[in-house]
Amino acid sequence: MRRGVRRVALGMAFSFFVLSLGLVYWQVVQADTLLENTSNRRLILMESRVTRGGFFDRNGEIIAQTQISQGKKVRVYPKGEMFEPLIGYSTVKLGASGLEGSSADWLLGIKNATPTQTVQQLFALPRQGDDVVLTLDSRLQSIAYNALKGKMGAAVAIDPRTGEVLALVSQPSFDPTNLEQNWNDIVSRKQERPLENHAFSLFPPGSTMKVVTSAALFRSGLNTTNLYDSTGSAVINGQVITEQNGESFGWINYNMALAHSCNAYFATYGVQAGDKKFLEAVKGFGFGQKIPFELNVPTSSITKAEKIPATLSTNLLAASAFGQGEVLVTPFHMALIAAGIANHGVIMTPHLVERVLDPAQTVIFEQQPQPWLSALTKEEADKITSAMVTAVTDGTAAPGALPDVQVAAKTGSAEPGGNVATHAWYIAFAPAEAPRIALAVMVEHGGTGGGAAAPIARQIMQEALSQKVGDK
Amino acid sequence: MIHRLISRSLIIGMMWLGLSLLNLGSLKNQLHWQALAFTVIVLLGSLIEGISRYQGDPFILPTVQAIMALGLVFVVRISPEAALRQFWWANIGLLTFYAVLWLVRDYRQLGRFRYFWGLLAVGLLLVTLLFGSTAGGATSWLQVGGIGIEPEEFVKLALLLFMATYLEENEELLRVGTVQWGRFSLPDWRTLGPFMIMVVFVLGILAAQKSLGAALVFYMLFVLMIYVVTERALYLGLSLPIFLMTGSLGYLLFKHVRVRVMVWMNPWQDPTGMGYQIAQSLFAIGGGKILGTGLGNGIGASTVPAAGTDFIFSVIAEELGFAGAMAVLVLFLIVVMRAFVISLRAKDRFGQILAAGIGILLGTETLIILAGVTKLLPLTGIPLPWVSYGGSSLIVHSILLGILLNISQATAGGSQGSKNKGREYAT
Repeated sequence: MRRGVRRVALGMAFSFFVLSLGLVYWQVVQADTLLENTSNRRLILMESRVTRGGFFDRNGEIIAQTQISQGKKVRVYPKGEMFEPLIGYSTVKLGASGLEGSSADWLLGIKNATPTQTVQQLFALPRQGDDVVLTLDSRLQSIAYNALKGKMGAAVAIDPRTGEVLALVSQPSFDPTNLEQNWNDIVSRKQERPLENHAFSLFPPGSTMKVVTSAALFRSGLNTTNLYDSTGSAVINGQVITEQNGESFGWINYNMALAHSCNAYFATYGVQAGDKKFLEAVKGFGFGQKIPFELNVPTSSITKAEKIPATLSTNLLAASAFGQGEVLVTPFHMALIAAGIANHGVIMTPHLVERVLDPAQTVIFEQQPQPWLSALTKEEADKITSAMVTAVTDGTAAPGALPDVQVAAKTGSAEPGGNVATHAWYIAFAPAEAPRIALAVMVEHGGTGGGAAAPIARQIMQEALSQKVGDK
Repeated sequence: MIHRLISRSLIIGMMWLGLSLLNLGSLKNQLHWQALAFTVIVLLGSLIEGISRYQGDPFILPTVQAIMALGLVFVVRISPEAALRQFWWANIGLLTFYAVLWLVRDYRQLGRFRYFWGLLAVGLLLVTLLFGSTAGGATSWLQVGGIGIEPEEFVKLALLLFMATYLEENEELLRVGTVQWGRFSLPDWRTLGPFMIMVVFVLGILAAQKSLGAALVFYMLFVLMIYVVTERALYLGLSLPIFLMTGSLGYLLFKHVRVRVMVWMNPWQDPTGMGYQIAQSLFAIGGGKILGTGLGNGIGASTVPAAGTDFIFSVIAEELGFAGAMAVLVLFLIVVMRAFVISLRAKDRFGQILAAGIGILLGTETLIILAGVTKLLPLTGIPLPWVSYGGSSLIVHSILLGILLNISQATAGGSQGSKNKGREYAT
């Protein structure tokens, strides 16, 4: 009897142990998988109980807020389509997108920042979500939005010293108010893709790529004062490299080659530097890497494969050196590249969320600036900056010049393939000696960078520098 | 004495804390009066225990009261209306417990009725089958004077007593075996006969009632009690093929069994239809994570079907998290293990068997329903002892607790003045 009791007791204790393992499995291992199950109504139910927090720009202007009118919660977007599709939407029927989706845990007050808050939540459900203050500046956003309106394209402005995203516009966009009623209409605009954030879409970078190629040239020992004879075209490995308008620039050094955007110069010296040096430089700028950011940004690539290849054929290398071939970049990444050059070679981790405030307006999260990549040495960055300054004073980037401030910039006119107008690119930062803003503007099928994109960039920079944006 | 009062006060304090955190609505006053009555009974009971020099197991009662308090808080959280009745049952249950503890002079008298218990069990089941009403796919309710009772629960008690008397009587026969069959000696049919008939009858009736959970509990109780008493692994070995055969027969014969198994294998295939219950239960449990959503914050109470009864553990696991769920498991483990300790210490055979039986019953009930809601086993709805909403279950388990502590008390009382002897026996 005693032995029997002991054994059964042991068996019971063991079974309880197995049961506790089952709990570990569901509550720890599988918890997130269960949360993502489409039949799980947890988030929707949580949402209906909590008043969603608001989005504010860096100066406290309301971007999105939930208001209660006649007992019903209404999400209002006072700025209309200006911040779309960046901010995105969140409705029970359509789900969520953009920052509304990726910041949902903050907005619903269910992201646990500190252990104290976790304990607090044990006793009281947050009825009011947290407010998210963004790094965006409504004034810059408004200028970029108005300048791009009616076109297709994107503009991204970043503080190169901190990685704060100051403006991010994608056109065309949509009005997030009454989204459910207008949904079919928005979806039917297939050509314009208003739901897609064009700042996060991949395009060929064209000549703006030359700032990246420059790093490879320097590292192959190129003397920037050496002169190259530009004749309007060059033949590399049987491939004919031509200039934009078949122009010939005569004897030019590195600064002039970048300022005038000489394709033959970069193709010739790019091939001389070799694929190893080029691919290394490209990796240093974040190609083939996921950009650490609050939103999902597609990875920029050199070839059709997402990863950076080990080698590159000479012909493809020559084309890639001036941003054609198979190179694809997002406007967002291009802005980061400009920011990296501006910040003496160090690309800061980009971010949109500046801080998060709980309903009592206590700061529960604050983003600290963090470096992401060291793309260049200070000397290399200085060389490229000086060439980009030449491009503005005496080159293709001149339309972006500002009266009192020295701008450093590079244009691009990327051929998307086929008989269509080129994509107009303009990357810039200012003031060149101590940059406070770096940006990338891209107008789809806009023609030349200097013609279509530079004026937009100039307006944004002018506003930013007059308002002293970035200084808090 | 002081320790006793402090532990009870802590338990009661936790209950009041839980109640104060919940939104009780219009029933607030009524619930508070009920909770006050519960408080008074618990504290008064512990005082009288001290005065009457109660010397039984000191751990089980506070543990069960903690489980009860937790259960009450969660029934309040899920449905304040139901909780009003549940508090009544809890109070009556506690009084019943003390009545069994103090008024039953000698638990051995329970063994006198022998076959009365067996007949009572069978009779209760038959009456339910004939006059019972159906709820939740199972015919297991009986309406008596406006109150719905679950005879199943009382059958557990009757059957346990029957088993204990029967096994005490026939222990030697079952243990030794009288028929040689190869290397094994089996008990002859005269000994096993009534026993097997009992098994078949109860299981058959339960299968007809479609109450699978109870059938499983009874089967486990039979097998484990025989094993405990005889210590012959042969019985465990025999039980497995019988279980598998009965199981596959049930699978082939009854559609609802097939559905249960299918849903268990893959509840995600149809989480809005047949897999709904278990899927919602897992969503609730998974949402609790480590520390839970907090009392009153979960979604399980409104999304999980039968949240107050079979699935109450899912709601607890969600709102108190893994930490709280583990605490509940440990509380139950303490009760079960202490029941076995009482069994080991008891002086007479009947007491030993009965205490072990109570331990086995509580353990299997807890394991079966908890494994069901966590998808370790196919789901079979039975109440979680002392926690789930339901008067019958609460009363019956209070009686079981009373019997258990009565045995413990008698053991301690008998060895008064020679405490070391009792200790020796236990270790």
